[in-house]
Amino acid sequence: MARLTLDHIAKSYGSNEVLRNITLSVGDAEFVSILGPSGSGKSTIFQLIGGLYTPDAGTISLDGSVLNGSRGHISYMPQSPALFPWRTVLQNVRLSAEVAGIKPDEEQMKELIRSAGLAGYEHAYPDELSGGMKQRVSFIRSLNAPQQIICLDEPFSALDEFTRLEMQQWLLSIWETNRKSILFITHNIDEALFLSDRIIVLSDKPAAVKKELTVPFARPRTEDLLLSGPFLQLKREIYSELRG
Amino acid sequence: MSSLLKKGWRPAAVLILLLILWEGAARLFDVPSWLLPLPTQIAEEAVTGSALYAPHILSTVMLSATGYFAGISVGVFTAVSLFRVPSLQQAVYPLIILSQNIPVIVLAPLLVIWFGFGMMPKVIVITLVCFFPVTIAALDGFRQTDRDMLHYMKMIGASRRQIFWKLQWPYALPSLFSGLKIAATYSVMGAVISEWLGASKGIGVYMTMSSSSFKTDRVFVAIALIMILSLLYFGIITAAERFALRSRHKGGSPDGPAHT
Ligand SMILES: Nc1ncnc2c1ncn2[C@@H]1O[C@H](COP(=O)(O)OP(=O)(O)O)[C@@H](O)[C@H]1O
Ligand SMILES: [Mg+2]
Repeated sequence: MARLTLDHIAKSYGSNEVLRNITLSVGDAEFVSILGPSGSGKSTIFQLIGGLYTPDAGTISLDGSVLNGSRGHISYMPQSPALFPWRTVLQNVRLSAEVAGIKPDEEQMKELIRSAGLAGYEHAYPDELSGGMKQRVSFIRSLNAPQQIICLDEPFSALDEFTRLEMQQWLLSIWETNRKSILFITHNIDEALFLSDRIIVLSDKPAAVKKELTVPFARPRTEDLLLSGPFLQLKREIYSELRG
Repeated sequence: MSSLLKKGWRPAAVLILLLILWEGAARLFDVPSWLLPLPTQIAEEAVTGSALYAPHILSTVMLSATGYFAGISVGVFTAVSLFRVPSLQQAVYPLIILSQNIPVIVLAPLLVIWFGFGMMPKVIVITLVCFFPVTIAALDGFRQTDRDMLHYMKMIGASRRQIFWKLQWPYALPSLFSGLKIAATYSVMGAVISEWLGASKGIGVYMTMSSSSFKTDRVFVAIALIMILSLLYFGIITAAERFALRSRHKGGSPDGPAHT
């Protein structure tokens, strides 16, 4: 069942037409990636879903009710961790629940922090953490929110190659046990293929959905997948799609 | 304490050197003491004449503290109002800057005409000099809020109120404290100037009485008292800042954050 649906969405900033025709959906406990070149309008899609702007045309709906321009229905993880430096790890994780007006369960938060490999860092401040650790806190913060859909905007693109691969595997392992619906933005084909159930390929600006494909690989997935024949075959296909 | 010693010895050494130069030059050229007293004479006056100025200190402390709290309250309130109501900001901001162009020396007699010789006009003078640095510093702090954090808060649907109290206010605190420290030193100056208007007690009164009777050494004692009070206030606000921001910049080794 589709939870989040975008139906024929268009958006311009003045004379700058960014999104022409975006139709996509995310199902319950599904992992969907939006893949597109830089500047194609991926973050704009999130700003529309988040209600920061209203689309010029089309409807965004969650579980059947229209969301256009209304806020607070999604959980979010930005590209930069955006942790508050005056809050400890635990207090940062609490923030998303606080904003949603929910009293968070301390034990559950500590469990999440443990599962992120950050046991012992509950009361540390962000500037004591490495880049990868900060991103893990940021993801856990988005998991700790009550909303059932998480939007991740290129969360690993600022990390080095090794840390990124580690983080992708970690993300999958957490998600296997904590299945919320995920909409994931990336400009990295490997990342989209490795993580997702489905990939939405966007065209250059003004963006429209160019291709939608289902990723057939079974879960749980391991690193070996990245060099397997079917993986490389799909990667070639997407690559030529983005080129042509 | 040891860090105070470590940082403090240089300015202290320079100060002592200057005093020695002053003492030496004044003795060498035999400057009359009603024109420029020797540092040793001033120190002697400060000790032997302490009964003369002691009652004045308390009065100035009370006045400047009252004015300071009035000033920073007005300052913080103004900053928050202007920041949260942008149209108000456009309307009022230029007036606030203009308010700083009225010379206190001109304003003070007017305030006396309107409010008499009580506490009121004096507190208004101090408020007027203290609120400005606080308002400007706090407004700057609010405006400089990290854009990524702001975007995150908007994306998760935080209300304007939540964004302000959970993000913009704590983000602006270090900046606000800079304003509070400046205001603290201004408050002593403001108090002394307002005491010149006509008061029965205060360092300002002690100073005018001393200068009109050519007790120049006492004028210098008054200057020293003003400096000491200013430093003391500055120190108190710095300590408050340390306490309020104690959780920040604590972690992280100097060579960068830890690695996984
Ligand atoms: N708030 C905004 N106002 C005006 N133009 C914007 C705004 N946000 C994004 N844009 C424009 O929209 C286009 C797409 O940006 P973005 O959605 O950030 O792309 P992506 O995330 O795919 O890199 C860019 O040309 C950018 O200049
Ligand atoms: Mg982007």
